[in-house]
Amino acid sequence: MASLVIYLAVGIAFYWIIKYMIYDEIETRLKVEMQDFESFIRSHDTWNNNSYFVENKIEVMPVSGEYNHAVVFKDTLLQNRYDEGIGPFRQLTFYTIIGGVPHRVSIRKSMIESYKLIEAISAAMVTFLCLLMISMFMFQRRLSGKLWKPFYDTLSIIKEFDLTKKEKLQLPQSEVTEFSELDDVLKKMADKMQHDYKSLKEFTENASHEIQTPLALINARVEQFIQSRDLSESHTYWIEEIYHASRRMSRLNQGLLLLAKIENQQFTDTEDLDLVDLLKNKLSDFEDILTHKQIDVKMDLRSSFQIDMSPSLADILLNNILSNAIRHNYANGQLFLESDENFLKIGNTGNELKADPERLFERFKKESAGAESVGLGLAIVKQICDNYALEIEYTYHETIHSIGIRQEVKGLTG
Amino acid sequence: MKILVVEDEKGLAESIVDYLTKEGFICEVANTFWQADEKVSLYQYDCTIVDLTLPDGDGFGIIQTLKKIASTTGIIIISARNTLEDKIKGLEIGSDDYMTKPFHLSELNARVKSLIRRRNFGGNNDMIWREIRVQLQARNVFVSEKETLLSRKEYDLLLYFLSNIDVVLTKESIAEHLWGDHMDSADSLDMVYSHIKNLRRKILEKGGKDYIQSIYGIGYKFTAA
Repeated sequence: MASLVIYLAVGIAFYWIIKYMIYDEIETRLKVEMQDFESFIRSHDTWNNNSYFVENKIEVMPVSGEYNHAVVFKDTLLQNRYDEGIGPFRQLTFYTIIGGVPHRVSIRKSMIESYKLIEAISAAMVTFLCLLMISMFMFQRRLSGKLWKPFYDTLSIIKEFDLTKKEKLQLPQSEVTEFSELDDVLKKMADKMQHDYKSLKEFTENASHEIQTPLALINARVEQFIQSRDLSESHTYWIEEIYHASRRMSRLNQGLLLLAKIENQQFTDTEDLDLVDLLKNKLSDFEDILTHKQIDVKMDLRSSFQIDMSPSLADILLNNILSNAIRHNYANGQLFLESDENFLKIGNTGNELKADPERLFERFKKESAGAESVGLGLAIVKQICDNYALEIEYTYHETIHSIGIRQEVKGLTG
Repeated sequence: MKILVVEDEKGLAESIVDYLTKEGFICEVANTFWQADEKVSLYQYDCTIVDLTLPDGDGFGIIQTLKKIASTTGIIIISARNTLEDKIKGLEIGSDDYMTKPFHLSELNARVKSLIRRRNFGGNNDMIWREIRVQLQARNVFVSEKETLLSRKEYDLLLYFLSNIDVVLTKESIAEHLWGDHMDSADSLDMVYSHIKNLRRKILEKGGKDYIQSIYGIGYKFTAA
């Protein structure tokens, strides 16, 4: 852009310089002719128009009254003597006395040739400047392309890099110090990330096994124990407490592990799913409990909700929202399912929320102190939504609690 | 009926063996991969219960060996790993069922029995207990030879009871058996209660006896006593 301005300025300056030089040349010649004319007058003291000045038009007019002796140059357009066209002329006007009478003499010189010259020079200049500019542009592009090639190579490799896979980040060795340093730093970062990912993944797997196995043992032993026939009432009570506690612990452990796995992005398999379709299927799983609680389901599913998502996570997402909406519903309540393009809302009638709605999606926030729920359901929902850049919102309006999920629509240009 | 239990946690293996022995199965235990591998090659079992995480190997390996030498054996995986990939892999290499730890012994028992029934009779036999007869293929129930119409859940519940006779079943294990573990709410226990009430009423209506005994605070027991 800057070079374009400079080229333009140079071009204009060139034009003016050439024009000035041509004018200078013509004016010098006109002055010489004026001297010729004056010397002719001095020797003949008379003038007739069929003179020997061929190229130039000389106009002699007697003037009366006041005049000044200024010698004036001026551009004028005149009819050409030979063809019908009108051409540019440079005109020199001066005053002289012929035969005792003052006359105004105008000598004109055609500038057609000169203009053609200017045009030719300008055209040649514009062409060459353009060529120069294009070649400079191409040259710089090629140069920078070559110079930045290692950088772009690295960039495309990083874009392809998947830390959940086992392959290490492989970057080509660059001769440029800055780029090779950048590559080294990136390699170190990628290795650290992969290592962290792997150790977290192993931890969740180990924790899962190491905690679930003793829990399974407690469960099994309790089940064996309750088979004995001579249990007193207090025994049954204690056993029931142990049984509930171990079940809760197991569910808690599973919930936390699931959260860790989602946070660690271990669900990498994605499919193109329709959440509305899945929701309808999911609803049939809850059929029994809906009939049992006599909950009326009101569906307003206007559009599908397409999303690229892990099927297991989609299932967990809908399951948690639905079971939440049923658990906090009262008998003879209502369940609202609403969908629009990239929007899904599940609402339920229920008692007024006592807790802060902002903190609803936090871990271990539960509305009722019911021992059956561990308070992770909505935290898991939130984490899944965060992973897939889904916006989640809770609204409460006239005894209806709703959880809405919105998918940001990516612009076509983005 | 011989069952092999492959489980490295000794206490859990003992519990399973105890429970299944009471149900009339002959059980053997393998605590390590190599023990299991040896037993599988030497003897024939009707059903094998395999834990996936063993100290000296992967349970999947045992399943593959089993499939090669004794393809009629039923295989149930019990594992603490509850990822979908593990479940799919387990079913792909030929196991019949997958249970996530912790599980209910009564549920494991029911599944072992159902698996053996399917293996031996192709599910095409009747289950008879006193005056109750269940046509497994057609899912029909007869009490004193009178057809009794049960809902799907009531049928499942009856079958669960018939697989665990004289055993105390916790309300939670019944709820999980009927609706899976995604239904972790107090409501499901209410539903268990109402299903049991209906089942009991339907059996009584057709002239059956009341076999469902409720155990205060814990659950129910299907018993002739």
